[in-house]
Amino acid sequence: MNLSLKEFYETKAKDLSLSLVTNPDTLDSEISSKYISRPGLALTGFFERFSYKRIQVLGETEIGYMQSLSDEMLYDRLKEILIYDIPCIIITKGLSAPNQLEFLANDMEIAVLRTAISTDRFSHLLRRYLDDYFAPTRTMHGTMIDVFGVGILLTGKSGIGKSECALDLVERGHKIVTDDAVKIKLNDDKLLAMPTNDFGHFMEIRGVGLIDVEKMFGIQAVGLEKQIDVQLELMPWQDNMDYERIGLSDNYVEILGVKKPIIYLPVSPGKNVSVIIEVVAMNYILKTFGYEAAKVYTDKLQQKLREKSALRNRKI
Amino acid sequence: MIRKTIKISNKLGLHARPATLIVKTATKYRSDCRLVKDDMDINGKSIMGVMMLAAEYGSEIELITDGIDEDYLMTDLVELFKSKFDEE
Repeated sequence: MNLSLKEFYETKAKDLSLSLVTNPDTLDSEISSKYISRPGLALTGFFERFSYKRIQVLGETEIGYMQSLSDEMLYDRLKEILIYDIPCIIITKGLSAPNQLEFLANDMEIAVLRTAISTDRFSHLLRRYLDDYFAPTRTMHGTMIDVFGVGILLTGKSGIGKSECALDLVERGHKIVTDDAVKIKLNDDKLLAMPTNDFGHFMEIRGVGLIDVEKMFGIQAVGLEKQIDVQLELMPWQDNMDYERIGLSDNYVEILGVKKPIIYLPVSPGKNVSVIIEVVAMNYILKTFGYEAAKVYTDKLQQKLREKSALRNRKI
Repeated sequence: MIRKTIKISNKLGLHARPATLIVKTATKYRSDCRLVKDDMDINGKSIMGVMMLAAEYGSEIELITDGIDEDYLMTDLVELFKSKFDEE
């Protein structure tokens, strides 16, 4: 979804120290790209592959170049540039816009803004904001929890016990980010999970109704957002299912194009799923530290087999 | 799988009471049930999910049923919406 320039200006004017140089009606435009452009080459007259759909940022170099041109040259060059459907132009470091730019921009209905912030810092802040605004998102049915600092996305059919598991984990000192509906945002290869609305941390317990987790368990029981490290799918126990037995190979799932490990957990009455979820989290941490229990065990077993085999061959 | 787009025709939109009716209906059946509005795709058997849609009067949502009894579920759901959840 495009970002309306008016909305951008009204929301970020304070944070980005922005002021409007052209008339307010030039704000009637849309930003469709999360990238920004420094139109150096376009200013020299080279328009091939000119990224006109991006916000154009003019710093000292660009302003300096414009000032080096004769009045007529600058006028003609600007006319060539402003004919493109540019979302807006932003001048940095509090520099003044050359008169021709202000005049032509108003005439050709392209917004020119000014920021007091330096070019590099401004580019960084603007990119951060645009990346976040245009970040791909999706919603999923599941519960997001933070167990020992590991972000676990609990999924599974309705009624399998995700919410109850989450509550049990909260009692053990872990956190709930959101129950039942998760909004996932892809930012910089990281999958951020967060609640789908800003109502707070409510949960439905069948038979009881809605509860307010934060009010009930305290602020330490809830989180605002968490990166997804692992997906854990709860499944009803089935006799002929092929469950992971040793754990040397990992299964992966793709969310918004990012691969994450997934664990399929069989559940049935009597099984303490919460402790297994804690184990999943701790195992994940150990693996990041380089320790893989499955590998350690199978290596020891292979070593033992080699020893026994050598012994047997010596006897013969 | 059956897909059907339906318009919210009761004045107060999909608040807690209609959401409960939808979820109670959906959980009666074995089929999967999804509601899609704009870019939100939620599980129709989850009360939090349905309420999260915040579907207002006049908005359109897509109903998706998938499974053994998808026809019966879809019929029941459409009837619920058409009857304005018995609110008017």
